[in-house]
Amino acid sequence: MSAAPAERVIFASGGHEFSRRTGNEALRDYILGLSASDRPRICLLPTASGDPREQISAFERAFGELQCSLSHISLFRLEAEPVTVREHLLTRDILYVGGGSMVNLLAIWRAHGIDEILREAWKRRIVIAGQSAGAMCWFKFGITRSSGAPGVAPGIGLLPGSLCVHYHSHPERRAAYRHAVATGLPPGHGLDDQTGLLFRGCELVEVVSGRRGAGAWRVEADGRGGCREERLPQRAIADPRPAIDEPSAAVRELRQVRAARARARFARR
Amino acid sequence: MVFGVTAQRQIVTFGGGGFSMESGNPLLDEFVLGLTGRSRPRVCFLPQASGDADHYLVRFYRAFDAERCSPSHLSLFRRLKSPKDPHEHLLSQDLIYVGGGSVTSLMGVWRAHGIDEILREAWEKGVVLCGLSAGSLCWFSEGVSTFHGPPERIEGLGLLPWSNTVHYSSEPNRRAAYHRWLLDGMRPGYAADDGAALHFVGEQVAQVVASRPDARGYRVESRSGRVVTTRLATRYLGAPEVTPLIRSAAAGAIPVPRA
Repeated sequence: MSAAPAERVIFASGGHEFSRRTGNEALRDYILGLSASDRPRICLLPTASGDPREQISAFERAFGELQCSLSHISLFRLEAEPVTVREHLLTRDILYVGGGSMVNLLAIWRAHGIDEILREAWKRRIVIAGQSAGAMCWFKFGITRSSGAPGVAPGIGLLPGSLCVHYHSHPERRAAYRHAVATGLPPGHGLDDQTGLLFRGCELVEVVSGRRGAGAWRVEADGRGGCREERLPQRAIADPRPAIDEPSAAVRELRQVRAARARARFARR
Repeated sequence: MVFGVTAQRQIVTFGGGGFSMESGNPLLDEFVLGLTGRSRPRVCFLPQASGDADHYLVRFYRAFDAERCSPSHLSLFRRLKSPKDPHEHLLSQDLIYVGGGSVTSLMGVWRAHGIDEILREAWEKGVVLCGLSAGSLCWFSEGVSTFHGPPERIEGLGLLPWSNTVHYSSEPNRRAAYHRWLLDGMRPGYAADDGAALHFVGEQVAQVVASRPDARGYRVESRSGRVVTTRLATRYLGAPEVTPLIRSAAAGAIPVPRA
């Protein structure tokens, strides 16, 4: 039984992987909890990265452990059963938009008329969640690397202002954002990985973070040609079980040494 | 190129076939490589209709190996791992090869990155353009896509002022929709079977070639309320042009298509 929340909901994440690295499962559980349904129907839209099979499998692995019903809509791959995209999207409880190229995502959505369907889904109070390009696309503007160097790209604009994701993990993106805001881009937020902004209607109601040190910043022009960053209060959310993180520096070094030896052996053959 | 002579504008549209669909039968791919007139042509693959799928890139590089040509690809989903300046890169090619997939998604991505304009320029400068399926539909003014289930009427780049449909004999639904739309005022056009390719010089069909003996190209138009399909003379690329004197030697030299 679907149960829509009382207001329009968008959850924008600065970076979220379908993996067991710190903060990802916390965010996953949080997103699922945004729907009032006890078995939400959640649909992945992986088009920003070209609908790669790996992303779809990782999504199915991550969310498949929970009480929910999974699907995805590919605009590049043929599926065994043709689906009516509009009908499918409008009968979900949660729509999850993956990351990739924001410019490509919006261009493809427009070519297929998906942007209008998503606007309708939002108005019907279907929960909209997304990460990276899939988070910035809901705002008036985002900072994309779709053409290589980071630059401003317009979004669908359901939410006012701008958003910059991977705020501290991509320093060149943050620099481009600060410069853009200082020179007239509508103000907005800088958002770290494993951190998210929850909007009810167009109002920011909560900042959550699944990783210590990660956060969200309000970014505005300071009126003197620069810009001001102010960290927002946030609520920590915890992974449901210990995370499996990147190997330690020592393990990484060992792997590099081994890879170099393997290459050398290969070259001698 | 002779000074003062305009470059020939050439497009080859496959109804289906080439390395994407006919593994082990290189006839159509060899044909387009041959049109460049170079011994080691520069070939750039555009896989956007498939979302720049990795497995498709791998198959392209396997088919277009570096001994036969100088292969590259342009990814619009991973610009950081792709040629920096698409304009410069595409205009320096001898052949641009567009893969299959969703033509609607393909056109969306191209327009977002200005590739549509670059391809027109490349065509006018004499770079040979080709592709199959979505990579065929994209060059025409309009066409029929069935990628997302029911047939859809789509708009292409319009370099070729005709309509187009692909997989003509193998997809009756698509054919029926095409005929309906032709009666409805869709401009006349060309269709091709899997394994058949239409070679356009300028805007006109110069020849039809095939990688399978039974594949054909067609002119399709509506005439006084009826759809008229005209089979075009199609040259099978696997047929030996000269009867070999020594049978066994020739058999090894001629690629055997899988029909």
